[in-house]
Amino acid sequence: MLLKLDLGDARPLHEQVAGAIRRAVAEGECSPGDKLPPARELSRALGVNTNTVLRGLRALRDEGVLEFRRGRGITVAEDAGQRAELVDRVRQLIAEAARVGYSRNDLVDLIRGMP
Amino acid sequence: MNDSEPVGTGPATTPRPGAVRAGAAWAGAVWALGVLALLVTMPLVARDRLPDPVATHWNGSRPDGSMSVTSAALFPAGVWLALVLAAVVARRYWGGSASGLPAALLAGGGVLLIGAQASIVHANLGRSHWQDADSANLWVAVVMALTALASALACLATRRPQSALAGAGPAAREPVMDLPDVERVVWLSWAANPALQLTAALLGLGAVGTAVASGTGLTDPHWMLLLPLAALALGIGAVSSVRARVTAKGLVVGFGPLGWPRRSWSPAEIESARAEQRTAAQAGGFGYRVNRLGTTVMLRSGGCLVVRTRAGAEFAVSIDDAERGAALLNALADRADAGRT
Repeated sequence: MLLKLDLGDARPLHEQVAGAIRRAVAEGECSPGDKLPPARELSRALGVNTNTVLRGLRALRDEGVLEFRRGRGITVAEDAGQRAELVDRVRQLIAEAARVGYSRNDLVDLIRGMP
Repeated sequence: MNDSEPVGTGPATTPRPGAVRAGAAWAGAVWALGVLALLVTMPLVARDRLPDPVATHWNGSRPDGSMSVTSAALFPAGVWLALVLAAVVARRYWGGSASGLPAALLAGGGVLLIGAQASIVHANLGRSHWQDADSANLWVAVVMALTALASALACLATRRPQSALAGAGPAAREPVMDLPDVERVVWLSWAANPALQLTAALLGLGAVGTAVASGTGLTDPHWMLLLPLAALALGIGAVSSVRARVTAKGLVVGFGPLGWPRRSWSPAEIESARAEQRTAAQAGGFGYRVNRLGTTVMLRSGGCLVVRTRAGAEFAVSIDDAERGAALLNALADRADAGRT
């Protein structure tokens, strides 16, 4: 799989790592059920601390993009591609809302008010 | 190697003639040291049963030249070292090992010198004066025939016909990935052979079982069983899975579940990379293989990432998504070139 880190990105490193893997899943780099390389391998490849990588991986598990299975390592979840894409768009929406002065709660209200 | 088909690459061009087999240098070194040891030890071991000086030259069947035993041990060793040096120079400057010349020199020279040394020791054995030494005529004939045979076999075994070299794939860097300056791009891939993993696990289980049985006193320690089982389990385990990563630092290929041992190449060391379809039959079987294709780590037939180093060696590893790994490596090698100029 091909992973890309934006060198000009100001976000915390663990978010960048999560973003790189999310992007890879969304672009079909790995399919649902595929095993991810071990965190240590990812950390060596990306030049990032293993704990930082693990933090990024846990965030992706919480988003439902990855699954941690005992004995099987970390795998890409079912429907992870669509989900990763959706999560990515929501992130963009939150960033855009913040830019024009809307908080996350304002966004939630907006979504709830949608017909 | 007309039977291996390049994937996603441009038209094949002839690579540098210096493309050599990675293991050939090691085999040559072991042979050189082995011959050297034999040449020196043969007369010294038999010293008590040899006259001093010993007959070292014959005119017909009559000995007409002699040397002290020490000189007889050291002189051929000196000749051998000169020959080894000549083979190294030939490999470096005259077409590499692909020409077959270095191997022919080493094989023929080694057989000739060992044969001559053996015939000298044999002819002088049990004599009190070198003038009484046996005739060496028959030995000379046999040694000359063996020398010719060894040279011819070594030359044929290592010489690579031009057609094989022409099929070795393009030296041009294709495919190449577009590498933006603002991004850090890395490629990760891996492959495993479940059958080899299972074999390694079973052998490991056998080794542990043997160790436990002897450790608890159930049986006597079976070292002759335990050591080969453990060595085989570790060896097969190491080549049962492989992982590769391409980063700005180059290519790292790690073997086994721990990713160790590993081999690595910096972008500056890599001349080109490509993806190629190879079968286990072409590589010579599964595992770590060295043959006319270079070194192949073969876990499953199919796509392989093949790198050619600037030293002329080729290394291939059967791994998923090899084409993009090759494209990234080529882009990194281009960047390394640009940084050098």
